[in-house]
Amino acid sequence: MAKNDKETSDMGVRKANNFFGTVARLLRYMSTRLWALVAIVFFAAGSAIFAAFTPSVLGQATTEIFEGFREGMALREAGQTVDVFPIDFDAIRRIVLILVILYVLEAVFRYLQRYITAVVSQRTVYDLREDLKAKLGTLPIEYFDTHSVGDVMSRAVNDMEQISNTLQRSLSQFILAVVTFIAVLVAMLTVDVKMTLIVFVSIGLSALFIAFIAPKSQRQFAKQQRVVGELNDRVEEIYSGHTIVKTYNREDDEVSRLVEHSDELYETSWRAQFYSGIMMPAVNFARDLGIFAITLYGGFGVLQGVIPLGNVQAFIQYVNRFSQPVRQIAQLANSIQITVASVERVFELLDEEEMEDTEANRPVKDDTPYIVEFENVQFKYSDMENLLMTDFNLTVEEGQMIAIVGPTGAGKSTLINLLERFYDVNGGQIRYKGKDIRDIDREELREHFSMVLQDTWLFNGTIWDNIAYGNSDATAEDIQKAARTAYVDEFVRRLPRGYDTILNEESTNISQGQRQLITIARAFLADPEILILDEATSSVDTRTEALIQTAMENVLEGRTSFVVAHRLSTIQDADKIVVMDQGDVVEIGTHDELLAKEGFYADIYNAQFASPEDMSFA
Amino acid sequence: MLRPGRIAWLFVFLVIQAVAMLAIPTLSAEIIDNGVATGNIDYILKYGGIMVAVAVAGFIGSILNVYFASTESQRVGAKLRNPLFDKILNFSNEEIDKFGTSTLMTRTTSDVLQIQQALVMILRFMILDPLRIIVAATLAFTREPRLAVVFVIIVPVLIVSIIFILRKVNPLFRSLQIKTDRLNRVFREGLTGIRVIRAFNREDYEEERFAEANEDYAQTATSAQTYMALTNPLMILLTSATSILIIWFGAQYVSIGEMEVGNLVAFTSYSTNILMGIMMLSNIITMIPRMQVAVERILQVLDEPNEIVDKERPATLDLDADEVELEFDHVDFSYPGTSKLALEDIDFSVKDGEKLAVIGGTGTGKSTLANLIIRLYDIDSGSIEINGIDIRNMSQENLRNAIGFATQDARLFSGTIRENLTYGNEEASDEELWHALEVAQGADFVSELPEGLGARVEQGGDNFSGGQRQRLSIARALVTDARILVFDDSFSALDFKTDADLREALEPETTDKAVIIIAQRISTVIDADEILVLEGGKLVGKGTHEELKENNEVYQEILESQMKGEDI
Repeated sequence: MAKNDKETSDMGVRKANNFFGTVARLLRYMSTRLWALVAIVFFAAGSAIFAAFTPSVLGQATTEIFEGFREGMALREAGQTVDVFPIDFDAIRRIVLILVILYVLEAVFRYLQRYITAVVSQRTVYDLREDLKAKLGTLPIEYFDTHSVGDVMSRAVNDMEQISNTLQRSLSQFILAVVTFIAVLVAMLTVDVKMTLIVFVSIGLSALFIAFIAPKSQRQFAKQQRVVGELNDRVEEIYSGHTIVKTYNREDDEVSRLVEHSDELYETSWRAQFYSGIMMPAVNFARDLGIFAITLYGGFGVLQGVIPLGNVQAFIQYVNRFSQPVRQIAQLANSIQITVASVERVFELLDEEEMEDTEANRPVKDDTPYIVEFENVQFKYSDMENLLMTDFNLTVEEGQMIAIVGPTGAGKSTLINLLERFYDVNGGQIRYKGKDIRDIDREELREHFSMVLQDTWLFNGTIWDNIAYGNSDATAEDIQKAARTAYVDEFVRRLPRGYDTILNEESTNISQGQRQLITIARAFLADPEILILDEATSSVDTRTEALIQTAMENVLEGRTSFVVAHRLSTIQDADKIVVMDQGDVVEIGTHDELLAKEGFYADIYNAQFASPEDMSFA
Repeated sequence: MLRPGRIAWLFVFLVIQAVAMLAIPTLSAEIIDNGVATGNIDYILKYGGIMVAVAVAGFIGSILNVYFASTESQRVGAKLRNPLFDKILNFSNEEIDKFGTSTLMTRTTSDVLQIQQALVMILRFMILDPLRIIVAATLAFTREPRLAVVFVIIVPVLIVSIIFILRKVNPLFRSLQIKTDRLNRVFREGLTGIRVIRAFNREDYEEERFAEANEDYAQTATSAQTYMALTNPLMILLTSATSILIIWFGAQYVSIGEMEVGNLVAFTSYSTNILMGIMMLSNIITMIPRMQVAVERILQVLDEPNEIVDKERPATLDLDADEVELEFDHVDFSYPGTSKLALEDIDFSVKDGEKLAVIGGTGTGKSTLANLIIRLYDIDSGSIEINGIDIRNMSQENLRNAIGFATQDARLFSGTIRENLTYGNEEASDEELWHALEVAQGADFVSELPEGLGARVEQGGDNFSGGQRQRLSIARALVTDARILVFDDSFSALDFKTDADLREALEPETTDKAVIIIAQRISTVIDADEILVLEGGKLVGKGTHEELKENNEVYQEILESQMKGEDI
């Protein structure tokens, strides 16, 4: 356990390795929407500038009122009766008009900015998703064999969600904060340089505080993320394996283990909340100190007659406005860090090495009698030190049924991986109708094959669609025929919604055997030249299997097929039985030949039927 | 769930924070009006000192507020999770099936996180904002009631607009959740089915399917965000309208001498406080429905009655008794929510030293029968007894201690091989583990691993082949040393030779145990003392291999299908 914890904790700290490089690359990625980005900055800047202007315009109105009031008071003191103070309503009307225009422009600019941001960020994430999906199509099968579904999914789901949220919310906030920061700074400098300095120092104080707190907060958030991941993994494992937990009476132990994780999560998550939470009070405190400093400095300045009172009031407002973007940027810093790490992980996937098209450029053997030939094939998976197949040879004539048997790990599935070009050979060659399969386009090659695998992959859709998946050109009749041939029709008719039954995510609404039948129907529908069955009937009971076998005899007639099986009973009619062990062919021959040889095959055959006399049945 | 004492402290610090927040600008205004205007330096210094003190108090108050809000909210998360773990792990299969594991998972993880997040916001702002609104509104109305009428116009407009936006946005966000699920599902299917997709050359179709889901998601997300984009400008327009109205009416009142100019400036600041407060509040209020849904979903789980509970005074089965006998007495069973019987009138018994086999096609109820033995479900009628005690009368722990069960899906947990093997018996020594592995035909491959018993098992046992997993799970069952062993189709992924070796090795181990083997292969069941033949949930045959092959039609069919009628 300890080892694993360490590994995940190393993974858990999700810091970007190359912050600026990744940001630059993301910007390049978004550069097709350059104009939209420019527009966002433009509208953000516009609305920030309008917002910076309005207080002073509003102030002018107050001044007008104040002037009229003072004039009236002066007249009163002079002994005149004043019923109505001489306020210049025309001037006020003009100011209000300007205000209305400014406010409306600010609002419109702000809306446009946010609207464009919404579109740009959603479209960018859309593109990223499409690219990621397209990328998966170009990766070699090896990638999927060596990376867990969870790993890829967390990039496609969690990281993508993080990017989407940040682009949506933080991007526009960030731009706005930066623009506001600059606009307010300029406005302050035009009024009073010394007081600007005071504001700067006080805000700088809060920046120092943030620089102290932010790394702590980030560390806690990273830790929180790791602990959440661990908790989720454990919950997933235990919930889906709850039968085992029950069977072995381990409910209490598992609960206390989960509670441990949960408590650990509590310890880190409150700290994360706390550290990120005190940033705002810290900035507010610095702001208050700023107000204090401005009041004192400005107050004495006014007394000495060097600073106009209006400027002091304006600066008190500015301290407020200046601290806001600083606070926002501080808050955004954390999520931006996390997001850049996410972007990096997505780019990492996009940068994975793609399938190579290593053309062999071997001469085509025209006069070969074989449809498939393996010649001196050498192969190893990349994580292996030694070759799995050192010198594999096999010839297959058109229409032959080739059975492959052997213990687990003998390389039976490898053979199929090579045939379908999920992996390419390391040495020797495989020929299809005399042509090296590396010289045939993968898609074209696979058109000749149809495959039924041990693990039955069905997607979330109707049974009908899942069968139709095998051949996009199939008619309804073809589909029904395939279903009947594979004995799918029989059980589907008993389902309340028939072929329209939607297979749910884990396809728990039909049995494993029925799933296998559907995949067999799918393969039949594809009507391929060569049929590959990899343990296709392992979960079907033997009687159903016998039925399928009869059906398959029709389908297999005149068709080349490769059948991998544990049950020897299913392959006794094969034209060639290839017995494999540790990557190599041990024996090849028909059932009778191999039995007569009394070798490896005869051994496993006899093991299977422990006492032949007992079994004899007539 | 929240501790009242701590919430009281939180409230105290919140008030300090709020008072400081409103006091700072007031103090600053006082200094300018009374100190600067009159040239009173003492006044300036005195109030300046007060100002610093208030700022410090506010800072400390808000930090403590954040502290209490963080600890309390996150603590609620832990307090919700822990009973959920307990509840869910003690659910019987009936309740698990009813909810589905994936939703139980999201309920314990993301739903709880959602509540924690909302709670932090509520504890920090939900109280602060109303406080701010109330104070500002009171000040506004006492100072200048006529001008305060402006709020009577603006505030309802603001509230109506917020409701309008939320009404538009909430359903969009809800459907976005469904679309996210769909997007992820399609992506996941593309990953898990990669071999099939490539074999059938359906990459283009998959990309189309994904693009469709992606586009659908992007469009909904965009329109939701477009509505959300309205909130900001709306706020700008309403605050500005307020300012303009205040200036305009204020000017009128001032001109006829019914109002002072100073109040005009104060009013603008009140208005900002009130409107911003409402806006912030609405932000938090939007979190409440989501939190409500999460709370409901969690309560559903917590309130779900557990169908299988131990009797208050359960009978105890003596695990060390000399003899052991399991008996099914006319058992009927139907899955909850279905009317069709999954098992009908099942009647048999098996004693120590005996080997009972169950054979039948897929979907005939073999695994169901196994699940009933360890009481993952309760039966409809009849009884299941061990040594004469109805299993419903014993504690589940007692029952399951008596049974070693190797499940059909040979599920392993992440950890080491040792941890997995000792799962049912933590005291087992390495020697015992190796012995169990020998019997289960797993010693060879485990000893070849560089770390042996300490070798890592990845989540779901993904780093082992199906056959290896089955052997490990059989060994795990053997390590428990239980008197009743149930193998639920646990030999299916083994090749024939391994299967035969395993059964041979099992023989001397089980002389004092009752063994139940569920299988599809005749060869696996051939040497059983008694074989039950299941068909459509009914017992259609019972006897030895010799008897059944003579007189049982279903058995003959199974046999024939596996022999292909060959005479050997």
